[in-house]
This record gives sequence, C-alpha cells and structure tokens, in this order.
Amino acid sequence: MKKQYAFLVDTERCIGCFTCAMACRNYYHQVEGVVWRQVYPLSEEIYPHRERAFLSLACNHCENPACLNVCPVEAYTKREEDGVVVHHQEKCIGCGNCIRSCPYGAPKYNPVEKRAEKCSLCHERLDAGLNPACVQACPTDALQLIDLAEFERTNEVQYPAGYPRMEELNPSTRFVLPKTPKMVRR
Amino acid sequence: MTAKKCTFSRRRFLQGAAAAGAAAMLPCSLLVPGKAEAAVFSEGDYQTFRNACPRNCYDTCSIKTYVRDGVVRFIEGAPESTFTDGGLCVKGYAYTRRPYSPDRVKYPMVQDGRRSGKWRRVSWDEALDMIAKKMLKLKEEDGSLLGLGMTKYSGNFGITNYGVEGMMSSLGYTTRFVGTPCWPAGIDAQNYDMGNMWCNDPEDMVKAKYVIVWGANPAWCSVHSMKYIMEAKRRGAKVVVVDPVFTQTAAKGDVYWQPKTASDGALALGMARHILDKGLVDEDFVRNYGLGFDEFADYLRNNVTVEWAAEQSGIPVKDIMEVAEEFATADPATIWIGYGMQRHTNGGASVRSIDALVAMTGNVGKEGGGARYGHLQTWGFNYHALIQKQPEGSKGFVGGAAKGEFDFTSGSGASYTDRTVNINKTAQAILDTTDPDIRMLWVSCKNPFAQDFDRPKLEKAFDKLEMVVTVDQFFNETVANSDIVLPVTTLFEEWTVNVSYWHYWLSVNEQAIKPMFETKSNIEIAAALSKKMNELAPGSCTFPQEIDTKEWMEKEFNQSIYDMFAINDWTDLRNGPAKARLKSSAAWSDHKFATPSGKYEFKSELCAQNGHKALPEFKAGRERYDKFRLLTPHTKFGLHSQFVNLDWMHEYDKEPYIYMHPKAAAEKGIGDLDMVRVFNKVGEQKARVKLTDNVAEDCLLMYEAWFGRGNAYNVQNLVDDESADMGAFKAGAPGVAIHDQFANVERA
Ligand code: SF4
Ligand code: SF4
Ligand code: SF4
Repeated sequence: MKKQYAFLVDTERCIGCFTCAMACRNYYHQVEGVVWRQVYPLSEEIYPHRERAFLSLACNHCENPACLNVCPVEAYTKREEDGVVVHHQEKCIGCGNCIRSCPYGAPKYNPVEKRAEKCSLCHERLDAGLNPACVQACPTDALQLIDLAEFERTNEVQYPAGYPRMEELNPSTRFVLPKTPKMVRR
Repeated sequence: MTAKKCTFSRRRFLQGAAAAGAAAMLPCSLLVPGKAEAAVFSEGDYQTFRNACPRNCYDTCSIKTYVRDGVVRFIEGAPESTFTDGGLCVKGYAYTRRPYSPDRVKYPMVQDGRRSGKWRRVSWDEALDMIAKKMLKLKEEDGSLLGLGMTKYSGNFGITNYGVEGMMSSLGYTTRFVGTPCWPAGIDAQNYDMGNMWCNDPEDMVKAKYVIVWGANPAWCSVHSMKYIMEAKRRGAKVVVVDPVFTQTAAKGDVYWQPKTASDGALALGMARHILDKGLVDEDFVRNYGLGFDEFADYLRNNVTVEWAAEQSGIPVKDIMEVAEEFATADPATIWIGYGMQRHTNGGASVRSIDALVAMTGNVGKEGGGARYGHLQTWGFNYHALIQKQPEGSKGFVGGAAKGEFDFTSGSGASYTDRTVNINKTAQAILDTTDPDIRMLWVSCKNPFAQDFDRPKLEKAFDKLEMVVTVDQFFNETVANSDIVLPVTTLFEEWTVNVSYWHYWLSVNEQAIKPMFETKSNIEIAAALSKKMNELAPGSCTFPQEIDTKEWMEKEFNQSIYDMFAINDWTDLRNGPAKARLKSSAAWSDHKFATPSGKYEFKSELCAQNGHKALPEFKAGRERYDKFRLLTPHTKFGLHSQFVNLDWMHEYDKEPYIYMHPKAAAEKGIGDLDMVRVFNKVGEQKARVKLTDNVAEDCLLMYEAWFGRGNAYNVQNLVDDESADMGAFKAGAPGVAIHDQFANVERA
C-alpha cells in the first residue's frame, strides 16, 4: 500500500473540548462562518448521554476524492507522496461542485475570496516535519496523525455510527469508539 | 507518558527548512499559494516570544507566540512544558484573535449617563484629569480616601497586575473588596487540616492506582490534566468521578456517582466509617503524623453509618462500601477536590471530611496520592508592584484589614489601614458602607456584573456610586455601568510573569507586539494617574510616574525563585518555561504539617476557635427555597466572563442554553430547544433549553458566560450572595454558596 496519511479520532479519549477546531482557526484565521475542523457531538441514539461523546472531523483525504473528481479546473491534487488531498485556491473558480459533492461537508465556501477552501492536513507543516496544527493541539492525544500503510489495526473502525458510509470514496479517517462509565445515580 | 513526538524524521525537517523561502502561511486568503504546493513552514520566518495565560485557570499554559511584521500570526503551547505539552485549550487558541478583536476598547472613553451607551472618546489626559480631580475631591470632603473603593480579582493573574493594589496604596488608605468568590471555603478547610493548601504535582497523578475526581471537571476546566488521569487509567488505575452533573470528565471515568448536591460531606464520612469498620486505616500515619484520630473515629462510630450516608447522598450502600474499600487498599490513591463542591453553605466542612478520608488511608504526603486542591508554593515573588507606600499624612481606617489569598505582604505597622469589605457581597457592601460612603469605584481585572452575586442588587448599588472607572478590554456589562473606561493591554502587549495554583511551572510573559490603539497595562495606568495626581496636588500619589514595564517585571524576581526553578536569571525563561525543583512530587512528603501541632489535625482547635467544629463533622446544606436546584458552573468555552464574547468562539458556541432533565421538562410542557424563563427571588433569565439526563430531575444547569454583542444572558441574575461556611480565616471573607441556589422554570 502507498503511504496515506490519515487522522485517527480516538473518541474514547476525546473530551469534546474544541481545542483542535480552535487551533486550526488560530493557524489559518478562516473568515467568519468558515470552519475546516468541527467537533460534532454524537446524538443520544449513538451515545446515550447528550454532548458527552464527539467526532472531531475535517477533510478525510479520501483515497478516491469526490471533490477532486468533480472539479472542472483541476484545483485539487492528491499528493503522490502521502495521499494528502490539497485544494489549490488560486486555481479555484468558486463553482461549488466540490462543496456539493463531498458527503462529509469538508470543502467550505469562502464568501470573501469567492472560492472554496478546506483542510489540507497542514501539508506545509508536514513538509517541515511538524504535526498538523489540530493534532499538535489535542490535549489528550485523541486526535493523531497516522499512515494507513503502516498502521497496525487494533480496535479502530472506518465507519462509526453517525458518520456517512462512502465506500466509493474510501475516506482515510479512522475512529476508536467511545465508552460509557458505570453509572450510579440517585 | 507518551510525549507528543512528531512521527517525521529530523532530516526531512532540515531539508524542508532549507527549501523554504516564501511565506509559509497566508491567513485569510489564498491559503495554498504558488503553482502546486504551499511553502514549507519555517519557524525562521517569524519572531517568537514567550507568553502565558493569566486568566485564573488551573492550567496557566505556557505559550509560544509567532509574530511577523509586528502582528501575532499564531500561537501554540510551549513544547518545553511537559504540562502544556505543545498545546493550549480552545480558549487559549482564541488568544490570537483577542488583541485584534473589533469589539475591543481602543481608547479611553467617557459615557454620558450610565447604561446610556453614549460613549465619547477622550484623551488619556482628559480621562485621568476627571479621575484625579474626583479623587482629590473625595479626600478633601471626607478627610480620607476611604470613599474610594477598588475591586479586582482574577481577570489577570500576571504578577505585575498587583500594581492595581499598589496604585491604591500609593494614593492613601482606600476601601478594598477582599475575599474570593472562587475557593475560600476549601482553602480554610485545608489550612485547618494541614496548615496550608498544598497539592501534589498534577503530573504525578499518573502514579495513582485509584483516582477520585470529586466536584471537578478537568475535561473542561483543566484539559491538560486529563492526560495524566487517562495515563493513570491506562496503567490500570480506576477513575471514579463524583459530581451532581454527568460531566465530560465523568464520561471518561470508570464509575460515575451522582450524589445529591451538597451531600459530599456525608458521602465522605460514610466511606470513612466503612474503612474504619474494615480495619483499613493506615495506623502508622494516623498515630505518628495525625492528631485527634481517635476522637474522629469515635465521632464516626457514634454518628455515622454507611446507611445514613447512602440516605443523605442517594448513593447505594454497596457502592459506597465498594469504592471505600478499593480506595483504602489501592496504593497510592488520590482525590482531586474540585472548587465546585465547596461552593456551598457546608463546603468547608465537606472538604475537611474528604481530607480526612485521604489522610486516614495514609495517602497525604505520598507521591501519586494526596488530597489535591491547589497550592501557592511557587508564588514567592517580590510583589514589588503591590507594595507601595501611602503618601505622608494619609488617613485611613483604624483597625486591621483582612487580606486576600494572593496577598503575600507581611503585616503593616501603620496605625491606619485600608478598609475591607466582603467581595462576595459587593452590592450589599456598596449599599451599606458609611462613614464615609463608598463614593467612587475602581474596577480592574474583574467584571463584577458577570461575576458578583445578585446582579439586580448590584445595579442599584452602582447607581449609588458617584464615579465608576473600569479598566477593561471589552465593552461588557460592568463597563456599561461605568462612567469612564480605560483600555488595557492583552498578554501579548505587556511584560509580566505567571505561575499556577495547580502545576509547578513558571513562565515569563514577553511583550510580543506593541500595545494596540491607546491601550496601557495596569502599571502604566497607575504611573499615568500618579503623574496627573502630582500635577494637580504635589505629593498626593507615591506611585512612580515613569515606569518601564519590563523593568518592573524583572523586579518581581528574587534568589529564592531562581533557586526553586533552577535558573540563573529571569532571562533564562525566554528559552522556555521552568519547573520548580521539588524534593518530592508529593505535598507534605516529610509529614511535617504547618498546623499548630505540626501534625495532620483530624481535630483542629483552631477550626473550633473560628466558629466551626473541631472535627470534620457533618454539616447539613442550605434549605431549598425554590423548586429546582440551580447550578451555574464554568463552560468549556470561557473562563468566567472571558473568551465567550470573541467572534472566533462564537463559531463553535453560538448561544447559551439551560440544561434540564426530560422528565422534569415534560411535567412543565417544555420541549427541547424551547425558549424558557428561569426565575427565583433574585431575578430571571431567559434562554433556550436543552433536555438531557446529564442533570438530575430536580436540577437546572446554566453555564456562566458573557456572550457580548447584545446578548444579555447572565447567570448572576439568579444567584444570591449567601455565604459559604468558611473562607474568612485565610481569604479575608467567607466564600459564596454559588451552587446552593434554587429556581423555577416555565416556557417563555
Ligand atoms: S472528505 Fe470530501 S473534501 Fe476531503 S477528500 Fe474526501 S471528498 Fe474530498
Ligand atoms: S490538519 Fe491543519 S488544516 Fe486540517 S483541520 Fe487540522 S489544523 Fe486544520
Ligand atoms: S482537541 Fe482532541 S480532545 Fe479536544 S475535541 Fe479535538 S480531538 Fe477531541
């Protein structure tokens, strides 16, 4: 298998603190209303307590990216060396095809630039030997950077409840499922 | 502990760094420049500075700041601090926005009519002229400056900000709001038991075999501590979380206990009784290092049963027994005592019971053990900014002044003192104080309208004041109730130094950018006021009239700080924060306690002398005065009234909610996301409701926050100023029973 960087979201460790999301904003200063990484609370049908388990999600850097496939001007590339899906904003004509076709809602419309934009796995940081801003920020190591080619599978899943199953795209993010404690309530 | 190591080779890093030429990052536009790839990130493209979060948080994170062209581009956690570990929290990462926030107070401004919103810009000279003339007038009319009040608390714990108190002393004897809304009952409790409040290094929690997090929610309020709890768990420790709310921390534990609110003392005593019955007491500790254990044991045998504790708390007998036994047999075992659980009319007594539980199992003084509450071991600065002399001939109050928990000055020999009033009864103190009345108020590092209790009464009290001057960064409600607002610097714009009351790291805070607009730091404001006072009335203020904030920061250091942190000079901190060198990571490791007897005092005569029980006896909670218990704890998106107002934070936290159990809501015909009105004898507050079993059926929960931008949400509309049992001994005034509040709710 070729090198494919991916996010590992360990929801057993994730405390839903939004640090990862704000760390991304701190680094890129997205314009108002544009969010690259979002922390989604799981509904009570999935985790029995409201807003107590979360999925931290950004672009999944899919194996077969819908965004790339629908882009009329080749503003997307998938990097040979590590599988990172990069959006080149200077080429983008703002047609919105990627925004409409990504089932994970990763590309966002930037109303100021009138173009799309999304998480590019901080590839400029990767190239400098650094972790992505969100990964470095996570206080519990719930968000990690992995290479799927070398990653040893244990208890991760690719499609946890609440996350769209898109086998065609083969999204690279992996998840560890949350646990509940023993509850002693009055 | 797994250090956050990057998975990439250093060789690649160097290659990348060499290749990097162009700007690595273009915030806000064309995020990926050039033909194909963004330029490689290179630290060399930035100037880096050291900062530290001063906002009254356990974590007091060490920050590394990246500046280019005089603008803060981004920040991260200092990699050198094992506590901060390269990361901040959601609040910390929002700092990058703070100096540039469009909502910032930019210039001195005067409001024509409080709450009128009619602000006009004035020069510093004009503003200070108005202020100084008023002060001189008070002094002339009253014969003293006691009519000038100062209220300040935890909005900025950078050490040089004690210059606000220093400025007041420089003017004469004034009226000070003392005490703390935060943690005083627990401070007193630990002082009675051990002679000081002193906690183990949080990093040693990884060694614990059993962790009880009792009334604390580190997942929201101390995110960096969570990794130690998780690591302890990974190494086999059991984690029990005790909280009336199923918190995010509770969701990460092995066992969650939801006792009745304020029944913590009973629960701890029930566990203690079971440990006694099972013969699991650490005899060596209680005999050699404890005082009065036999009396405590008698009290338990005569007054406490596990069944009684179960009835009081709602936690079943078998669970109490199980956890008590496991706790007593795990070695080491620790309890993190949160500040939440002592915000009750029986809070101090409850903390003493929990302390006793930890002590009787021999876990006090042990690495990985400990009754963890907080500490001030690393706060031995010079307090140069704080210690200022009154002008010759100043008249003041006759009789001693109470001191706050962060006042490290030794007793003054003067015949006059400042006049002290209870910070937790700010409104009442302003209304009641006479001879002379409090006529003028200086507010800094504090937002009383968001933090002080009984907000409706506070408005009446402020209306009595002749002049209110507020020093702040944003136009909050306190500013709206002021006549003059002075713009103050953010952490990036001033020099100071910071330590924590939880971990043991020391950070310098450098001036990373020039102060924006016309902002000044608190000590610069003091100097400017001093200059004006002396212009108008020579000799009327002793504060230096010219200061260099960096020099003043340097003046806070001394040899014992250098020795404690193993640095030669404060400038060493520019290479990264330093950690205190400790004999042991455990507090009280030599078992020499600072109590009168030098022992751990299960029985404290001092406590009895101060009007409480000598033993950690059970104390009942406050009588219910309305249908639901109302809890107003911290949100994860803010610290008191700070951070939530930033537009960056609004991206993730758009509006306030009231949390309510679905069953209780059904009875009232309230549906999810309905607009409701919560009301009680103090006042009312509207917000939308979220239904959740994270709260008990008889409970309403609203997080404290200040949203800014026209959102009037304020939990202090519902919280009265009832006192907690303890706090006067060490913090100057009793704490406040923040969580002993009750209210009703209906659809709005
Ligand atoms: S998650 Fe969406 S934007 Fe990201 S690679 Fe897949 S399809 Fe493209
Ligand atoms: S990898 Fe970078 S761009 Fe993507 S979510 Fe994380 S911080 Fe944001
Ligand atoms: S920073 Fe880590 S723990 Fe916090 S929300 Fe993101 S993934 Fe979860």
